[in-house]
Amino acid sequence: MIEVTFILNGRLVKIQTEPNITLLDLLREELRITSVKRGCETGECGACTVLLDDKPVNSCLILAPMIDGRRILTVEGLTKDRELHPLQESFIEEFALQCGYCTPGMLLTSKALLDLNPSPTIEEIKEALSGNLCRCGAYQQIINAILRASEKLRRRLNYKP
Amino acid sequence: MNFHVIGRKTIRKDALARVTGAEKYASDIYLPNMLHARVLKSPYPHAIVKKIDTRRAEEIGAIVITFKDVPGRLFCPRLVSTPDATYKDWKVLTDKPAYVGEPIAAVAAETEELAQKALELIEVEYQVLEAVFDPLESMKEGAPKIHEKILLNDRVINVENNIACKLELEEGDLEEAFNKSDIIIEREFRTNKGYHNQLEPKVAVVNPEPDGGITIWCTTQTIHNTRLLVSEIFNIPVSKINVKKLALGGGFGSSIQTNIVVPIAVALALKARRPVRLAYTKEEDMHEHSSFQMIFRFKVGVTRDGRLTGGYMENIMDIGAHQIQAYPLLGTCAGWWVSLYKLKAIKYIGVAVYTNKIPSCAYRGYGNPQVTWAVETIMDELAEMLGMDPIEFRLKNYVGEGDLFWGQGPTVKSVIRSCGVEEILRKGSELIGWKNRPKPGEQKGRYRRGIGIARGYHTSSAGSPIPSQVIDYSGAILKVNEDGTVDYITALIDQGGGTLDAHAKIIAEELGLPLKNVNIVSADSQTTIYDVCTHASRGVYAGGGAALNVARQVKKKILELASNVLNAYPHTLKIRPDEERGQAVIYVEGVPGKEITLGELATLARIKNWGTIAAVESFRPPACPPHFTGYFVEVVVDTETGIVKPLRVVIGADIGTVINPELAEGQLHGGFMMGWSRAILEDLRYSKDTGDIECKGFIIDYKMPTSKDIPEEITTFFVETYEPTGPFGAKGLGEGAQNPAIAAIANAIYNATGIRFYELPITPEKILEKIREKEKREPMKVVAEKLIDE
Ligand code: FES
Ligand code: FES
Repeated sequence: MIEVTFILNGRLVKIQTEPNITLLDLLREELRITSVKRGCETGECGACTVLLDDKPVNSCLILAPMIDGRRILTVEGLTKDRELHPLQESFIEEFALQCGYCTPGMLLTSKALLDLNPSPTIEEIKEALSGNLCRCGAYQQIINAILRASEKLRRRLNYKP
Repeated sequence: MNFHVIGRKTIRKDALARVTGAEKYASDIYLPNMLHARVLKSPYPHAIVKKIDTRRAEEIGAIVITFKDVPGRLFCPRLVSTPDATYKDWKVLTDKPAYVGEPIAAVAAETEELAQKALELIEVEYQVLEAVFDPLESMKEGAPKIHEKILLNDRVINVENNIACKLELEEGDLEEAFNKSDIIIEREFRTNKGYHNQLEPKVAVVNPEPDGGITIWCTTQTIHNTRLLVSEIFNIPVSKINVKKLALGGGFGSSIQTNIVVPIAVALALKARRPVRLAYTKEEDMHEHSSFQMIFRFKVGVTRDGRLTGGYMENIMDIGAHQIQAYPLLGTCAGWWVSLYKLKAIKYIGVAVYTNKIPSCAYRGYGNPQVTWAVETIMDELAEMLGMDPIEFRLKNYVGEGDLFWGQGPTVKSVIRSCGVEEILRKGSELIGWKNRPKPGEQKGRYRRGIGIARGYHTSSAGSPIPSQVIDYSGAILKVNEDGTVDYITALIDQGGGTLDAHAKIIAEELGLPLKNVNIVSADSQTTIYDVCTHASRGVYAGGGAALNVARQVKKKILELASNVLNAYPHTLKIRPDEERGQAVIYVEGVPGKEITLGELATLARIKNWGTIAAVESFRPPACPPHFTGYFVEVVVDTETGIVKPLRVVIGADIGTVINPELAEGQLHGGFMMGWSRAILEDLRYSKDTGDIECKGFIIDYKMPTSKDIPEEITTFFVETYEPTGPFGAKGLGEGAQNPAIAAIANAIYNATGIRFYELPITPEKILEKIREKEKREPMKVVAEKLIDE
């Protein structure tokens, strides 16, 4: 057993855990953050994506000790005071989900993209999403949602006093 | 027609839960005090378990079950067909595994890790048997026998030559039809073994209740059939089993049958007397289900003026090691064929054959994408031989309005009452620029473009005016709340397409309710009435039919009660949605003040003891109307790498009244992506050495389209039709959305290269090989290999 301390969605978490447990298991099995989806567990589908210090990672490939002292964001942390993130709004407005199983991962990958690159091109979006599978085939709608969110965010920035 | 919600852009009701991570899938269910399970699977494609020793696993505290601990009676995990058409050859755990991955034993322990440890402590002695992976080999004398005896309903059947089941059909005088033909074409097609790859692997969580009942949370497309099957296997009364309805992380047919994790988890929970959770990994999931793999042989005749005469079809279906109702598929494959184009005479021979491979089940389209690929290839070839435009040739021969349709097989027949085929083909060909397409095989140079077309359809449900061999009906319960909303309770599961949103709109439309006033409430098999399953593109049509009929009943009750309050005749009352008040308002037209909101009425009904306004409806669809689609695909083929890319895609669809335009569009997009995947990428190839699939279950070696594979441009359109038997004129879509995709892609590749491919998937390797053969090109020098050599 080791102790891991990290920030999860803005809150400090200290937890005793096995050193060989994956971040996916830590979040789901120990902390019951079930928005982090279990898919292939081999780094291929992106369903388990979380942001580690703002970068998208496949949580199934990260071991728990590696997150000690770092920040983790899951979709639960996207919503502030019950207000949806522009990406969440846009995914709803653009019908960018079907079964929804890829959605949390897609949202987080998109957030990391927009944080770095507020006005991505379609090619850049496709590149960023290429590690997140959507078997329902909602890629076009997801791209549209990201474009819409990027515009919302830009508008928001302009309105800043 | 003037609808207040149908056809309008509205937000998905489940979207909020899905973007916030609040949605619960079966994999998200964890119970207090539960055990974790793992399953021991055969490493051999065909073997007998000589000895199995579980003592060491039990010594570390694990609960262990083997074939000795589960009921031995054969069953069929899919309960969509009637019992007389259902072959049974499954056991929960077996001592004679017939594919790599077949469950032998299972354990449950405090943690998954401990369960895994226990699993590794089980000692098994196998007698390895010869295995067979090719259906043609499998049917030969002397091939290893995969099953000796199986059941048809309750009758014992001796399996001969590994033939699981058979269907032969004949109509008209085929010999004469061929005699009258000017051209007869003969072709053989081979399809691939595809994996659904729904993102969510299969899960079952089972809680044994103190009264001997059990509660189940699992990945499924049917809660009612799950409970019926568990009841059948374990001999527990149906009413004691409760299956919870949850969100499904993709189905595509892979959970029409009750997944094997369910009975295994049930057996473990019953033995442990504790809750058990069994979650398959992706690798295990890939060893659990796949598509049927077919070999088709066709012979089709046509006259010089472009009329099809007759056709012969042979369908040798590799079903893998067990039947998941392969028999009805033999019927639908014939149906998909004869309901595409008119033939005066037909002969069909369908044979389902066992092999030592992963069992096959329905996979979006239930054989239709494969049959359509073959038929639409032949149609293209015939048109070229006749010198006719492929679109005109199709229009001359298609099965349309007024014709008998039996896509769902020979026992499910109904007359087509709505059909937009011509409009789809005309409009689609204009949008893609059909007239300007290249001549096949004329291009030179590295990159070659081609345009392909294919049309198709799928049934909406398996309903018909008379009983058939398919069970198809839906149920709905609707009750009015005192706040003026209604609770809609249905067992029908949404695979992701937004089916339940369509139901909500149908109810809102009928009751004059603001859409937000329809609550889709959580449900389970105890609190709902029977719905067969979400398959056969039946959700909107059949489930929506139940929703409409239950709303009609409720409306009648609303008007009766309101007529007392408003002192007016019920049939003169009207209902309108009042978005401002957020209520349905029942009113007398032209008499101001004579109105009451639904909330007020429901409240009054309570105070006055009139009772709850509610109704229940069990609905059998009277037909299985085809929804039609047309695909127009432009691809570019790189003749040096064999890589194909989609450039422009136009998809037209006739789905009757469009209830949710944006969601319907999403189905078409998703349909194309899946079709692309099945045409170009996917194949569960077997290794003769290991007897296992080559990718071993790792999706890194089983490529799937990503965001980078979408076409540069995708245009969709819906033609206007009205299906008289559908709710507000609607039909289904989920499968028709994909069915012609493979065919259109293959025809586009032909248009670009002048080469036909008769085997799926059409991989870059195959394309390259054929191009080299045709153009007598030298293979490219592989530089990397040379470097290593030197
Ligand atoms: S579950 Fe982690 S990438 Fe698939
Ligand atoms: S919405 Fe189903 S996998 Fe993306």
